[in-house]
Amino acid sequence: MTRQGLRRSLVRIGAMAGKEAIHVQRDPRTLALALVMPLVMLVLFGYGVSTDVDHTRLAVADEDGSEASRALVRAFGASQEFEVVTRRPPAAAEGLFRAGDAVAALVVPRGYQRELLQGRRAEVQLLLDGADAMVANQLLAKADAIVRQESRRLAGLELAALRPPVQVRLWTQYNPAGRSAFYMVPGISAFLLAITAVMLTALTIAGEWERGSMEQLFASPVGRLEIVLGKLLPYLALGLLELQLVVAFGAVAFDVPMRGPIWLLFLTGLLFLVGMLGQGLLISVLAKNQLVATQAGTLSAMLPAIILSGMIFPVENMPLPLQLLSRVIPARYLVHALRGILLKGSGVAELWPDLLALTLFAVAVVTLATRRFKRRVA
Amino acid sequence: MSAPAIQAVELSRRFGAFTAVDRVSFEVEQGEIFGYLGANGAGKSTTIRMLIGLLAPSGGRATVAGHDVATAPDAVKASIGYMSQKFSLYLDLPVSENLRFFGAAYGLEGKALAARTAELLERVGLTGQGEAITGELPGGLRQRLALASALLHRPPLVFLDEPTAGVDPVARRTFWSLIRELAAGGTTVFVTTHYLDEAEYCRRIGLMVDGKLVALDTPAGLKRTWVPDQVLVARGQGLARAAEALRRLPGVKAVSPFGAALHVRVDPARLDAARVAAALAAAGAVAPAVEATPASLEDVFLAAVDRGAGGVAP
Repeated sequence: MTRQGLRRSLVRIGAMAGKEAIHVQRDPRTLALALVMPLVMLVLFGYGVSTDVDHTRLAVADEDGSEASRALVRAFGASQEFEVVTRRPPAAAEGLFRAGDAVAALVVPRGYQRELLQGRRAEVQLLLDGADAMVANQLLAKADAIVRQESRRLAGLELAALRPPVQVRLWTQYNPAGRSAFYMVPGISAFLLAITAVMLTALTIAGEWERGSMEQLFASPVGRLEIVLGKLLPYLALGLLELQLVVAFGAVAFDVPMRGPIWLLFLTGLLFLVGMLGQGLLISVLAKNQLVATQAGTLSAMLPAIILSGMIFPVENMPLPLQLLSRVIPARYLVHALRGILLKGSGVAELWPDLLALTLFAVAVVTLATRRFKRRVA
Repeated sequence: MSAPAIQAVELSRRFGAFTAVDRVSFEVEQGEIFGYLGANGAGKSTTIRMLIGLLAPSGGRATVAGHDVATAPDAVKASIGYMSQKFSLYLDLPVSENLRFFGAAYGLEGKALAARTAELLERVGLTGQGEAITGELPGGLRQRLALASALLHRPPLVFLDEPTAGVDPVARRTFWSLIRELAAGGTTVFVTTHYLDEAEYCRRIGLMVDGKLVALDTPAGLKRTWVPDQVLVARGQGLARAAEALRRLPGVKAVSPFGAALHVRVDPARLDAARVAAALAAAGAVAPAVEATPASLEDVFLAAVDRGAGGVAP
């Protein structure tokens, strides 16, 4: 391409982008979709979809009534996770679960203190409402920890002189409090960017078809790559703004840290956005009307971003076919990279495979979209 | 004489088994208003799309502004203006932004673009409306804006696909005066329409029936060829009684009531208005007044569709 030709081409891309930017400015729904919806979703997910277990209602049946059993109950009550709400006989536990009055019941059997004093294993029973498996799992782990702690305390009191108890020290790196917001914010960012990027572009090209202006564009010297690039640029800017907003909001509202380099955050976001915008373009190139484009856009962006990205369900726990499928979902790489950058302070050295995968997806999908974008309209 | 602005030779387009445009050949001279007429689905828009490089021909060839549409569609696009059938400006954008965008799409920028935008706004009578939202303009003004946006890059040739569809008669007249100004300035205009009164403004008309170009001539020439009979209008009293006698008169081809009047189609070689008036008076009509009416393009169109279906031109 000659210099003059390149310059003309840039003018045309600029014209497309400028026009598109005016469309966005003039359409409050687009702006709302891009900037307000993410914050609403972040609040909903950040606060609502919390997997943190906090002050769970615990029923206690202390049949022993001894000093040792009271100490154990106190240990449970002192934890952040449990709150002793009622003291009942063990038979009532199921009724309590059904009524929703408690989600866990601790039963300390008669003879608990006696067994301990005689140096034998004492057993306590924890009944859990397993209807919410995620909560039940966390409670189980916590209860286990409390009981170990209690054992250590008892061992320390009476057996320290004889044999030092083995201590297991657990230290959770990067997210010591196990806060789900830390885990969720990167995931939600991916989800939100995916949806808005795909939806916005899916709508914009389908809109041109519906309006008939696409034919007018095709009849002008504007090339298809120029149309694609001109359409991408304003939404790319909007998407980066959105990413910034989500990360900033996560920092302010949920204390999500920003440990890695910020340029890497933007680079990752940029690569992901190009891929998602390309996916939106591809959809609207194929769909030719806004309704179909919206449906296809929502499905293809939202479902993989929620289910396969590792945002909520860890990729490692998926069955092999889904794990393989998740490898072609760009959201998976973004979620991984964002967690790395925000929580671990990872750099390019650790995250280059994610960046590479995002780049490959972006190039592939934009190429495909441009090719399928038939220049001659039949 | 200069090279034709458009030259189509055996131009065809098939969609599967359906032939939308069937071996159409014509030439459009520079600076003429060329009307392309036909019913919906006759192949008008398909022809235009091939001529502007949007659709590849399946057979034949065409050159537009000296460029082959099949091998150099980009050169064709740069040298023409196109106003598509569907109103395709951006309704949510202000008038001036629409012009700016299409100007930039054709490579105009900076001061040249601003000057050209202002010039065209004035030319189509939209001065002072630059900031108005396009969607809020009445249909006639939008149509003129669409024309303006097709003219930004001073194309020597413009294609207008049903530019006045759905526009009121006054706005249509204004629009056609713009088209005629354009042609007077040397721009070639290729226009499709199905308003036959508008077609009278064209220097030459091509008539499409079922994908075939069945006639190509000036409006007057078409009327001479396709409607050789003379249509006379008779007014007066007692016409109904006289009509029966008139039908038996040699040279009368058809007599049909038209409101209170009679339309009488005659062979102009055998009868004229005076002789028909005399015949009516003899048959009992009181003070009949008979005058000739010119054949309309509508008569041509109906005759062409009737006969064109068989593929036989007179």
